[in-house]
Amino acid sequence: MALKDFLASLKSIRQHAQEAFAAAADKKDLEAARIELLGAKSGQLRKVQQGLGRVDKSDKPEAGRHFNEVKTLLESAFAEAQQRLAEAGASLPERETDPFDPTLPGKPVRLGQLHPITQTIRSMKEIMGRLGFSAVEGPEVEDDWHNFEALNISRTHPARDPLDNFYLATAESHGTPRSAAGGNAKGTENGASLKNKSGQRRPMLLRSQTSTVQIRVMEDRPPPVRVISLGRVYRPDTADSTHYPMFHQIEGLLVDQGVTMADLKSVLRLFYQSYFGSDGKSEADRVHVRFRTSFFPFTEPSVEVDMNWQSGWMEMGGAGMVDPNVLRAVGYDPEKVTGFAFGLGVERICMRQHGITDIRDLYQNDVRFLEQF
Amino acid sequence: MIVSWNWLKDYVELPMPLGELTERLTLSGLNLEGLEKVGDDLDPRAPERWTDWAIDLEVTSNRPDCLGHIGVAREVAVLWNQPLSIPSPQPQEVGPAVSSLAHVTVESPSLCPRYTARVIRGVTIGPSPKWLADRLRTLGIAVINNVVDISNYVMMECGQPLHTFDLSKLAGSRIVVRQARPGESFTAIDHRQYELAPDTCVIADAERTVALAGVMGGTESEVSTATTDLLIEAADFAPLSVRNTARQLSLHSPSSFRFERGVDWPGIDWASRRCCELILEFAGGELAEGSIDIGVPPAAHPEIKLRFNQIERVLGITVPGEQVRGILTALGGHETHACDHCVKFIAPTWRADLTREIDLVEEVARIHGYDKIPEDASVKLTASARSHEDSARDTIGDTMVAMGFSEAMTLSAVTPEWIGCFRPWTTAAPLTTATPVLRRANCLRQSLVPSLLAARRTNETLSNPVIELFEIAGVYLPEIEEMPKELRLLALTSGGDFFTVKGYLEGLLRTLAPQWQLLAESWEDRLFAQGRGCRLSIAPASIIDGPALHEPKLQESGKPISPGQVSPGQADQKQLARDFPWGVLGELSPWGLKQFELRGRTTVAEIDLGPLVNAVQRVRTLDLLSPYPPVHRDLNVVVGESVRWADVERITRTHAGPHLERIEYQETYRDPQRLGKGKKSLLFSIQLRSSKGTLTREQADQARERIVTALGQELGGQLRDGK
Repeated sequence: MALKDFLASLKSIRQHAQEAFAAAADKKDLEAARIELLGAKSGQLRKVQQGLGRVDKSDKPEAGRHFNEVKTLLESAFAEAQQRLAEAGASLPERETDPFDPTLPGKPVRLGQLHPITQTIRSMKEIMGRLGFSAVEGPEVEDDWHNFEALNISRTHPARDPLDNFYLATAESHGTPRSAAGGNAKGTENGASLKNKSGQRRPMLLRSQTSTVQIRVMEDRPPPVRVISLGRVYRPDTADSTHYPMFHQIEGLLVDQGVTMADLKSVLRLFYQSYFGSDGKSEADRVHVRFRTSFFPFTEPSVEVDMNWQSGWMEMGGAGMVDPNVLRAVGYDPEKVTGFAFGLGVERICMRQHGITDIRDLYQNDVRFLEQF
Repeated sequence: MIVSWNWLKDYVELPMPLGELTERLTLSGLNLEGLEKVGDDLDPRAPERWTDWAIDLEVTSNRPDCLGHIGVAREVAVLWNQPLSIPSPQPQEVGPAVSSLAHVTVESPSLCPRYTARVIRGVTIGPSPKWLADRLRTLGIAVINNVVDISNYVMMECGQPLHTFDLSKLAGSRIVVRQARPGESFTAIDHRQYELAPDTCVIADAERTVALAGVMGGTESEVSTATTDLLIEAADFAPLSVRNTARQLSLHSPSSFRFERGVDWPGIDWASRRCCELILEFAGGELAEGSIDIGVPPAAHPEIKLRFNQIERVLGITVPGEQVRGILTALGGHETHACDHCVKFIAPTWRADLTREIDLVEEVARIHGYDKIPEDASVKLTASARSHEDSARDTIGDTMVAMGFSEAMTLSAVTPEWIGCFRPWTTAAPLTTATPVLRRANCLRQSLVPSLLAARRTNETLSNPVIELFEIAGVYLPEIEEMPKELRLLALTSGGDFFTVKGYLEGLLRTLAPQWQLLAESWEDRLFAQGRGCRLSIAPASIIDGPALHEPKLQESGKPISPGQVSPGQADQKQLARDFPWGVLGELSPWGLKQFELRGRTTVAEIDLGPLVNAVQRVRTLDLLSPYPPVHRDLNVVVGESVRWADVERITRTHAGPHLERIEYQETYRDPQRLGKGKKSLLFSIQLRSSKGTLTREQADQARERIVTALGQELGGQLRDGK
């Protein structure tokens, strides 16, 4: 027998044995493999050893050396496998006697979740972030300058009516809500009030829109501005399935040289396309935006925005080009820059997306509700 | 504004299908709110069959001109490029001069910029002609008698409210427009009596109030079947005054709705003539000569310049100059100038909303059609960065979620009781809203904890077994003469005990600011079980430990301090708690549980996110890892009960030397027999590691020895059993 053939048979048994020992799942398997490979009477290794006698005499020393190496290797592989099974058996003492039921539940892990409104806001922020809009926040208690005046809402505008706003009560009566619509905010024992720089008392109120933040941002920095403001807003409404006196708004603002309504429409289309999830590769998935003429004091032109939805149009919110009076109020030059703004009610979109039919459920905080999102 | 399809056809041809009409009106500013088929043919017994469409259009507050059929017809005419035909009423005057039959005085011209009156004598009150009654029925307006119906009809035709008085019921045949007198009351045509505020604008005769100006007429002077002589009022009343009166008395009428939005000055006289013409035709009578007309006309609308390039600048599309001029002219504008780069227009009197160039741009845009504006413009790319605070707050929310909490959202306003039951952040009286935000909740909250406890109560009521809630929201702390301070807080409520919740907060801190440490000082509050409440603060480890660990410095030569004596370290910690306030943590007391009707154990915590966000190291840098193994030493130190772990830890940290990697508290053991009364033993271990080589047993023992010595000197601590 040629040395070459002998070595080949050694190699083959080595490979086979290592695999068999490593694969043994329990002691029975391992014992069977041991008998097959290392059995003293008819194990494969024994058979190979018999072949050693037939190797040419001159090659015998080398063949013997190789045989011994492989033998040692196999014995230690067997010992390793024995050890492995012993350890596994130690940690599962019942393993051999008791049946194992893999369908028993795993150890429970307590998982929390973000509120659906937070999830909606995050997702919107993230998409607008990709479109270059940075998120900003501002105070929820506002003065009438930021909530009305700077937004081109005149002193006589019905939007200032005390019945449509949560004015804060103060010790002294303050002029504006009264002159706006008569029903003066009632004085209470509470002495909270606000004076502006020139010492005049200014009414404070819970902001009725997040546009207030846009004013603060523009007052704070020169154009270009590309932000979304978001947060809680408050309007007197009797709570029912679609109304709650507190809700969330997201408003986008882009002011720069050369911003047009085409930019507005395009940004909104990209936003809706991304938000409503499809890649828009097929025409059926493609989102389109429709503008309807509307009126807001702080934009001109003003539009209501619809997007195509289930072969109809879905109202998304108001938008428009920032009114030159607003730009002037924050010290921008409307001859140099233009801008657009748009707003979205977070609850409405969140509810529609998740099939929530009662807005009050969002603020009930029943964990069975929260755990579904 | 409900519009009748049949009626519209009086002024403009409607060759288009109804759907197309409403679609284009919707896009150009008159949003379709509803559509209803009306008419006799819905009732097969009706003798004369007629049908109509009631088209309900939403009219925005800037477009009072569309609160009448003519205004809507004008929009249709412009959109479909159709001629508009408007009647020009020329009622025949036959009687004596109106001034000999009635007198009008306007005492409050600021509340009534214009008052006109015409007089018709000898009318016959009766039913309206069917076509007129049908049109009113389409609009859902009650049909009363020919005179009243005609005044309503004209209002719905042109948008100008009118009022007809029974002239014989006006004392002295006088009309006085004035403010209500103190204590004056008034019975309206709804037969209810109203107390009038002194600034209410009223129409009075020589003796008493006969109508609330622009809002509602009175019973005594209303047109009845016996009426023969009429005074027809067409006027302008100040929007604000009308709105206040309507609001105060909850008396909203189609008339007040229109005055609140403003009426067209020339349209006032048109409406008066139109009304008289129809009354003469359908109720008979003789019209007195002339009209009483009091008021100073407003200044003429100014010229508005529209530069053609502004259209592209704002809309992003070009509209040919000819088309721009055509649109503005069709809308009623008067062109005073046109050249190759601009046009000048005077807006029609009924469009008080058009005063600026941008207003004309909008007119062009909405008539030309927003559908012409592309939705695939290439918007400039910009980088956007998330603010530090924004991303920190997301991490905070994510960490809370990872620790098993559900995020709650609760109302920002609470009841006064909730303000009073937990006040860790301020003692100032809360800001209150003039009307409650919801039910009795009229206070801007100063802590989120009561709201979360109420949410917990809701869940207990629903038998939800695990209630782990957190909320991130603002509280409003009043400042004198300033905007309130709005703190952004994180509050949580858990069924776990004090240390479980403390562990959550430590976990949060470790995630966001691993170089900072949490400090706790006992704090009593009735919401918290006795001894189970604390104030929390956070500070950089380098400040808490003193510089010893972080930059070696000479130690004060250690004079032994007897147990119980305040060490400088302790004083510093209290100072730190004041310098770096972070929040509160505690298990609820029986009182606290009772306030919220809670049954199970409840622990709450509330922290200020400000310091946490500031502490966040936005970009982490790697601490090189030592390749050498650590060495551990256990310590079991017996100290007096008054000694706190925080001091043991601080002293350990200070004296362990430069190789200290970790201190791990294990447990506290108490046994009066073995340890002695008032003693406890603290079990903890330290882990040491050097970056320069494997520490020897001697080095580790020395570190342990230093710690034991220092604990002995500063706190009177001794190794248990000398080990």
